[in-house]
Amino acid sequence: MVRDGLNDITSRISVEAIRHQVEALRYRASRWSLGEWFGVALVLLVVILAIDLVRRLVVGDIGPSTVGTFLWRGSVDGLLIALAAVGLSMTYSILRFANFSQGDLVTTGAFTGWAAAYVVAGIGVADFGTRFFLNPDRGTSARELDMHIFGAPLAIFTGLIVAAVMTILVALAIDKLVYKRMRNAGGIPLLIASVGVALALRYIIVFFYGERTRGVTRSSPVIEHELLFWTDAVDAHQLVVVVIGVLMVFSLHIVLQYTKLGKAMRAMADNKDLALVTGIPTERVVLVTWVLGAGLTGMGGYLIVLEQETLNFNTGWFLLLLIFAAVILGGIGSIYGAIVGALIIGMAINISLVWIPSDLTEVAAFMLMILILIFRPSGIFGGVETA
Amino acid sequence: MLIVEDLDAGYGDLQVLDSIDIEVTEEEYVVIVGPNGAGKSTVMKSIFGLTTHMGGDISFQGREISGLRPEAVIKEGIGYVPQRNNVFPSMTVMENLEMGAYILDEVPQDALEAVFERFPILEERKSQKVGTMSGGQQQMVAMGRALMLDPDLLMLDEPSAGLAPDLVDEMFDRVDLINEMGTAVLIVEQNAKEALRRCDRGYVLVQGENRYEDTGEALLGNEQVRRDFLGG
Repeated sequence: MVRDGLNDITSRISVEAIRHQVEALRYRASRWSLGEWFGVALVLLVVILAIDLVRRLVVGDIGPSTVGTFLWRGSVDGLLIALAAVGLSMTYSILRFANFSQGDLVTTGAFTGWAAAYVVAGIGVADFGTRFFLNPDRGTSARELDMHIFGAPLAIFTGLIVAAVMTILVALAIDKLVYKRMRNAGGIPLLIASVGVALALRYIIVFFYGERTRGVTRSSPVIEHELLFWTDAVDAHQLVVVVIGVLMVFSLHIVLQYTKLGKAMRAMADNKDLALVTGIPTERVVLVTWVLGAGLTGMGGYLIVLEQETLNFNTGWFLLLLIFAAVILGGIGSIYGAIVGALIIGMAINISLVWIPSDLTEVAAFMLMILILIFRPSGIFGGVETA
Repeated sequence: MLIVEDLDAGYGDLQVLDSIDIEVTEEEYVVIVGPNGAGKSTVMKSIFGLTTHMGGDISFQGREISGLRPEAVIKEGIGYVPQRNNVFPSMTVMENLEMGAYILDEVPQDALEAVFERFPILEERKSQKVGTMSGGQQQMVAMGRALMLDPDLLMLDEPSAGLAPDLVDEMFDRVDLINEMGTAVLIVEQNAKEALRRCDRGYVLVQGENRYEDTGEALLGNEQVRRDFLGG
């Protein structure tokens, strides 16, 4: 009897304890905001998809090399988006507006860079006009110029530098002509002005280069490399994208964390009014913001073309929403968030191919963006300031 | 040292200050009190070139400074701690202090050591992000930042705002200490009694105009000031 009684008590205590804990958990859950629920749901979804991915791998539904390819392409796309997203995030955090002309700065970098690459690669092959206007009469093809990383490495790297420099110059000119005059006008007028700038840039490019889509590079040479990547082979051009992308992101990190101007940029992003009364020369910081942001954006545009081989006046415009998605995902105005967001978007549009047809991958990416805007407007990191 | 004479200033077309006179001499401790909307903060912002200058003069150590940009005012030797949002929250303590010395080519080690001596906790936590610190500690970061250039005049806009009551005294002690080390202090305070008790001189501002000016003691003893502005 006594023992029964004890058992009864201990079991009752443990039941009580468990019930207590469940209550506590339920209480805490009841205080969760919609954003937190959404975060949990998102994590759950990712976990379930990851389990399913492993299952498919084990069952042999998909091969490891397919997954390897998706991961690789995800990093390539992610880094390309990151280069442009960083610029957008910087203008947002320091100049306080959503720059809709970011996509056309990407296009600017692509055209100016490839024009330079053609000018260099085509010396002695074609006349200057043909080279500068990227082969308007289709007389000199990428094949003729041997336009790939091993065929014309010097031209391709010259193009990369020119893409950065020209995009910086264009961005600075636009800032001087437009944005500087309305520095304190507020986010909406600046945003609308930037839409105008976007269209103007686009059609200036159309005026010079026309609307046709042109192939500007040869298809990438392939590097056999079973060991490093699971894929059987890697496009050399993708490797160039990844190497330069990682290098740029890392350099940016160094600049932001360890240089005086980088710190001033973070200070201004943090608290513009205080930056002003601390003696930080805000206009100079704005200048540096454009130089870094536009430089990376221009390189991004140039490298996108290296990867996809073709170029037209809409190249950057079509990318703009993906750039925005990345920036929103990482928390608007956070530079590191933009980089992580871009990598996630890049991965998502590739790995989602396991479950959904390729036509729908961007739909998935944008649905994710909209859901985040609704439920976690400060980004997946929940507004944890990262710079 | 600081002479504000007949100052008219405001924001855009809106005039807030109407012929304000304020003076701070070397190593003096001066308080500006007054009801909400009296223009106390506007006086400081005007000295720092953050308002629209509409008339009158502001001079510091004999040089006209009205119309100068903030970074030029800092170079003249004035430090300023705004009322709210006076730190860079996502940056570390050390980075906040470095920003305080931005106009110099290098971080002045002696000033840095002096700040750490005054606020030892800042040295302990120099790698911590300021946004994760308590209100009192953030206030120390803000003051430390303004002291990095070893200013001749330190302007504090409501330093006790948002501090827990037991921290307010500590804050005032710190201001006393800064003042005793030879830095003149101009302070705007809502905690009027305590500020007047500690200062050398005080101004009472009402609706953008000078109302009273006297030593802190005399203002505290002034029947009318007590009744109208200090809550009896």
